[in-house]
Amino acid sequence: MVAAAVGVVAAADAGAVVADARRRDRVGISWRPELAAGIYLHLSHIDVLEVLADNFFVAPRRMIGALRALGREVPLTLHGVGMGLASTFGVEMARVEPMARLAAALEPESWSEHLAFVRAGGTEIGHLAVPPRTIPTVEGALANIERAARVVGTAPEFENVATLVEPPGSTLDEAAWVRSIIRGSGTSLLLDLHNLYANARNFGHDPLALLEAMPLAQVRCVHISGGRWINAPSGGRRLLDDHLHDPPGDVYLLLEHLAALTAQPLTVILERDGHYPPFAVLVAELDGARAALARGRRRRGLLLPAAA
Amino acid sequence: MSSPAFEAFLARLYTDKDLRLRCLASAADVAREYGLSGEECLALEAIDRDGLILAAESYARKRRSKANFNPGRTRLWSRALRHTLGLLLCFASRVTGRHSGKHMNS
Repeated sequence: MVAAAVGVVAAADAGAVVADARRRDRVGISWRPELAAGIYLHLSHIDVLEVLADNFFVAPRRMIGALRALGREVPLTLHGVGMGLASTFGVEMARVEPMARLAAALEPESWSEHLAFVRAGGTEIGHLAVPPRTIPTVEGALANIERAARVVGTAPEFENVATLVEPPGSTLDEAAWVRSIIRGSGTSLLLDLHNLYANARNFGHDPLALLEAMPLAQVRCVHISGGRWINAPSGGRRLLDDHLHDPPGDVYLLLEHLAALTAQPLTVILERDGHYPPFAVLVAELDGARAALARGRRRRGLLLPAAA
Repeated sequence: MSSPAFEAFLARLYTDKDLRLRCLASAADVAREYGLSGEECLALEAIDRDGLILAAESYARKRRSKANFNPGRTRLWSRALRHTLGLLLCFASRVTGRHSGKHMNS
């Protein structure tokens, strides 16, 4: 991957370099109750925290107060998982209004959701599923984004989703579908590098080529995480994005390549949902992300000052 | 293709084991039963069978995990947050004077 990456870096745009050099790349982690102590004790290593919004939609006032206190120390972003905006079905306002209330209470930097559907026709899938990648789902997503942005007050950033199954009935490839929604809506792409990596490995694509086909100028935030290989019934293997393992080395290489290809500052969030290692391991992974960003910026000839 | 009806069918396919088994045995029969178009029927016949089985298992695990969610644990952490770590926060704020502004991006 590294060899393939060298030489692809575009020349830096001088104007963008000057404008963006005033800002910084940042590295943070997803907030989880199990990580609370480690996070508080290592705030100097954490530039931003991403809060899983759905866990706080019906939270008691004191919990919201605790998050507000946290937000006075570290910038917060909200991350939603339950709206299912990438769908030909219109999003129900009852799914969006809790996000609007939480955003009003916490005043986060931004909020995000997924390019996925999670229910249809009264059936709850229970998780993020990729709909058929078609023009109708692009149009459905654009309508839902507009509706959600009107209610919350700002447009979300959108995350690409990992899938174990090629969405049946698709007429667009993943990158074309993502580009159509991101550019059509004018929103930013929250680029999950492990999701991208898993999809590339599972369906026979080159991860670097898939990365380069994404709308990289619209990326502001990045997720890194890990997963594990699982056996397929017919004998092959698929990479499951489970957030229970360390990010693989290739994810850091993709991050480096992304930093080399983009001029805008990036915010990288480490996601971990269980099998928590000692917090020192997570700090090392945050440092690994910073190092990958710095390597990429050097390749681009644009070394932004490291965040404190 | 990709009508709301097809999306609803996929949601059922991902969550209903019996439907999934029947579809894997004869996609054309299931497509007829659900009134899917010819194009949608072809998509089902060409479905990524391994991926369908693995994805459905993964969604089922997620649904079980949500069903087992224990709100008591969240309340416990909320108290820990407020009482113990809040003190640390105040202390850290006074020592470092750290403060961060925040605004929603427009």
